[in-house]
Amino acid sequence: MNDLLLDGLLALPAGFAVLTAVLAGRERRDPVAVRVAALGGLLTLAWSVWLVLAAPGLRAVDHPWLAALDVHWRLGLDGISAPLVLLTTLITAGCLVSLLRAPASTTPGRGALAALLLLVETGVLGSFVALDMVLFFVFFEVALIPLWFVIDRWGDRHDPRGRRRAATRFLVFTVLGSALMLVGFMLVREVAGTFDIVTVAARGVTGQAGSSQSGLLAAAAVLVALGLAVKTPLWPLHIWLPDAHAKAPTVGSVLLAAVLLKLGSYGLIRFWMPLVDPGWQLLAPCLAALGVVGIVYAALACLVQDDLKRLIAYSSVGHMGFVALGVATFTVGGVQAAVFVSVAHGLITGLLFFLAGGIKDRYDTTLLDRLQVLYGRLPRLAGLFAFAAMASLGLPGLAGFWGEMLAIRAAVFPDGALPRGTYLVLAVIAALGVVLTAAYFLALMRRILQGAPPAVQPVNPDTDSVELVSEEVEPGTATVEPRPLPDVRRSEWLVWTPLAALTVLLGVMPGLLLTPVAEAARAYFGGL
Amino acid sequence: MTAVLLLLVALPFVCAGLVLLVGHRGDAAGKGVAVGGSLLGLGAVLVVALSRLGEASPVGQVYADTVGFGPPIELALRVDQLAAVVLLLAWVVAALVQVYSLGYLAEDPRYPSYAALVLIFTGAMSLVVLADDLWLLLIGWELMGACSYFLIAHHWELREARAGAVKAFLMTRLADLGLLFAIIALGQRFDSYRISTVLEQVSAGSFARDELWLPAVLVVVAVVGKSAQFPLHTWLPDAMPGPTPISALIHAATMVAAGVYLVARLQPLFEVAVSARNLLAVLAAVTMLLAALRALVATDLKRLLAWSTVSQLAYMFGALAVGAWSAGVLHLLAHGAFKALLFLAAGSVVHAVGSTSMAEMGGLREKIPDTFVTMTIGLAALAGVVPLVGFFTKDAVIGGMWEARGEHQVWPWLAWVLLASAVLTAVVTAAYCMRAWLLVFFGRPHPHAEQAHESPWTMRAPLYLLAAPTAFGGLVLLAPGLFGPLAPADEELVHGAVSVVMTLLVMAAAAGTVWLWRRGAGTDPWAEAGLRIRPPHIPVDRAYDLAVVRPIGWLARGARGGDRDVIEAYVDGAAATARGTGRLLRLAQNGNVQGYLMVVVVGAALLAVLAGAVA
Repeated sequence: MNDLLLDGLLALPAGFAVLTAVLAGRERRDPVAVRVAALGGLLTLAWSVWLVLAAPGLRAVDHPWLAALDVHWRLGLDGISAPLVLLTTLITAGCLVSLLRAPASTTPGRGALAALLLLVETGVLGSFVALDMVLFFVFFEVALIPLWFVIDRWGDRHDPRGRRRAATRFLVFTVLGSALMLVGFMLVREVAGTFDIVTVAARGVTGQAGSSQSGLLAAAAVLVALGLAVKTPLWPLHIWLPDAHAKAPTVGSVLLAAVLLKLGSYGLIRFWMPLVDPGWQLLAPCLAALGVVGIVYAALACLVQDDLKRLIAYSSVGHMGFVALGVATFTVGGVQAAVFVSVAHGLITGLLFFLAGGIKDRYDTTLLDRLQVLYGRLPRLAGLFAFAAMASLGLPGLAGFWGEMLAIRAAVFPDGALPRGTYLVLAVIAALGVVLTAAYFLALMRRILQGAPPAVQPVNPDTDSVELVSEEVEPGTATVEPRPLPDVRRSEWLVWTPLAALTVLLGVMPGLLLTPVAEAARAYFGGL
Repeated sequence: MTAVLLLLVALPFVCAGLVLLVGHRGDAAGKGVAVGGSLLGLGAVLVVALSRLGEASPVGQVYADTVGFGPPIELALRVDQLAAVVLLLAWVVAALVQVYSLGYLAEDPRYPSYAALVLIFTGAMSLVVLADDLWLLLIGWELMGACSYFLIAHHWELREARAGAVKAFLMTRLADLGLLFAIIALGQRFDSYRISTVLEQVSAGSFARDELWLPAVLVVVAVVGKSAQFPLHTWLPDAMPGPTPISALIHAATMVAAGVYLVARLQPLFEVAVSARNLLAVLAAVTMLLAALRALVATDLKRLLAWSTVSQLAYMFGALAVGAWSAGVLHLLAHGAFKALLFLAAGSVVHAVGSTSMAEMGGLREKIPDTFVTMTIGLAALAGVVPLVGFFTKDAVIGGMWEARGEHQVWPWLAWVLLASAVLTAVVTAAYCMRAWLLVFFGRPHPHAEQAHESPWTMRAPLYLLAAPTAFGGLVLLAPGLFGPLAPADEELVHGAVSVVMTLLVMAAAAGTVWLWRRGAGTDPWAEAGLRIRPPHIPVDRAYDLAVVRPIGWLARGARGGDRDVIEAYVDGAAATARGTGRLLRLAQNGNVQGYLMVVVVGAALLAVLAGAVA
């Protein structure tokens, strides 16, 4: 039964990906392909809910796979991975549904795009349920490659060179990172004798390794950390992210930010924490410090961005810094924080990128200078944007708050073996980063949502020439009325409302997520 | 009873959602839900509050909790006498503001979001007051900050409104970090986030002197931000571009009152933390006089009232710092009533004249008689005229400071400084109240004021409803039993000698103002006709700009430059490599999958070698 449920979770999107790809081969059948893909996304969502309710546990599936290499097909699901699986299926279903309404003029070949998204979903879901290190690596790669095509082919249509550059940079970075990770996994096998991470975690590999092997294990931990740090991303390895997120099409940005980054945070919890002995004086504090630097650095960078999507992308770097901080404390509270930040960031930043996409659909740009007074022009979309911004800056009562607060709290009380003073300083800096986060979101809202109805209108939107409508002109005679734009459409409400509702739900009832994660973390790590 | 508590917290949020849903379809529906919800909540509050007064014991309930990290986070609510009276104040003012807004924002297309935010604001304040869990309190505390941000920016086409909103949010959020860390510290120390449990342990335990200084000082930091005390006081006057009813809500009953409430709520903690009390006393002493002097020279009616709020809040903190707990809390209630009255009356004046500048008012006495009568009562209460409510509570505060001289609640010299500052402030307060009264209602009418007209009944009725407690609230002090533990027998609330001296000083200040005004033939009595008062302008905003805002700007540009010029340099190197690899592989008529595989293999091999060398 568990076999069927877990394998089905991977087979379903993979099968629909193939089906969609086949259908999308002929241009005539493109609309059908997109519908099939959306159906596949929704079915996968339903399946994942069923799977999570069935709670298969960590030792659910274990068959030899590549026997010669001692690689097993080990799948399982616990309280740490379940929320991320649900997040993935929800976000992907939302992306696929939103593709239904995407005009063919701006997104040619929607069927192929939908097939690639389903392929990415397969890879991500596989990574979240894989419990064999090599299997995790394989699924990780499956999730990465299709995104090169997504960004390169469907990215920003005003900048073909830029999107190619962004796509390649994304691929080079993440692939180099995962290569490092693979080497690290090989070293772990040298020490532990297995690729099964559950065994490694339960045995406490760090305690058992002899002194001759401890160097090997440390090297492995560093390599795995490096590989995952690229994906998470941690400063200064974040550099691929703003470009990739900004140049990708809306669904690509949503998927990259809401789901793909979680591969990094999940990998840190599941595959990195068991390898590390908090007693090592350097590694964990370094990770925490990089996370905190990322929080502040990203907030600073956000203050001076001039593109909406780039800004949201940078804000992701800051949020993921809290994940690193939580993980590096080696406490149950830290794991809770990391999972909560991951899920909350997925919902909120997913919503923000969807909204940015909605703005881009209407204005054909996300340059902040071109966007003004959205409160006046698109009141509902702007209101939703304000909500998402408030959630993202960590307003208590919404999902964004708990994870960051828990990360700060965990950093005040890290594992006993870690230097407490260092972590206290980091916690305070992270808290100041929270204020900086508020600052840039308020600045953003002031810039694009509020403002006086413009006396300045771009006369020709294709060029950057802006002619001043002189103030002496009688009001009402010469001001160029912006053409009225449609506010939030029904199909958009359909996709956006669940994200907003879950943001409120998790903010009001954090226990829904915190309690199962704590149980799972205690069971998985034993000693924490 | 406990179900009613939960209703009080949930109702405003549900109503806010409903207003947003239906408000844009039908005008009447939104207004009905907003006002109906507020009145329903007020009814529930009456049920809760009236049964809690006197000697009744507190009622609390835990509805849900979260286990899994440290002490549980609980949805725990609790109501005692203090919570009951503050809750009553908040809901009375909120309901009146909703009614008043029917008239004030009659033509405003943004009414639905406005009404929804006022409801959320009320709900957040209920949460702060009723919370028995520190995290729950923090949620309400910061939610109020966010609501005030949106409400101050209600007229977002105005530059000042946008700037004021951002300033209010950022300053209070920065200070809120104090509360966050205080909660973390208290939870660790007492292994519980329940406020009642923590306070019981603080009261019962014996602590070394000032052992708990850290959480108490952190709370003071948060309170200084929320209640706009020096040196974080500048956001409140800048928040004035918001609609006037909002100012009434923020200044009287919710946001800034929450700071006083928190200190009063955590009184056992401050009892054992001398350094926090000293800090609070110093800040209060500076703030009350500074703000009063700024009110004396303010030319904008709303800014004048805002500065007076800052000054009056400092009174309350001063009282709480020296242990005159009941005096501080009663002054909070009295101030809530008369300041709400003053702001709503000021809104009525603004509605009539169309401007907030006092230079464009004058001679309004006969044009808007209802507003005149009620605002007179409010200003007199603020000035501390017998027998209005402000007279009693202000004298209770000053009397409490007088008696605290020898009790070593704070450093002895500090008690004297605080007392002197409070007396001086009372004099200045009387002077600026008289000045505002003269400038708005007497003298030659400004051309703008010629067409002034009285406001609709929805705006006038709340004025009279608030004038009643302002006029007669002081009598309640004569029956202290009503408040139970709020007015303990050992804390003397009526001080005969102090009252006589203060009344004489107030009369002298008022008379002096009238004399100056006469001599200057109706011009601004303190700025033009008489003494040119230049209150010390402590350049805190400039200091923040130099010390915080600009460096952050530099750092931000540095971060952008760093990403562009430094980190991208090595990336471009990598990209060039990738391009080269791609070109190689294009020979094999293939795309980048192979390129990527190639990179994997080469990279892995390289690293395997390196790892082997390390091991």
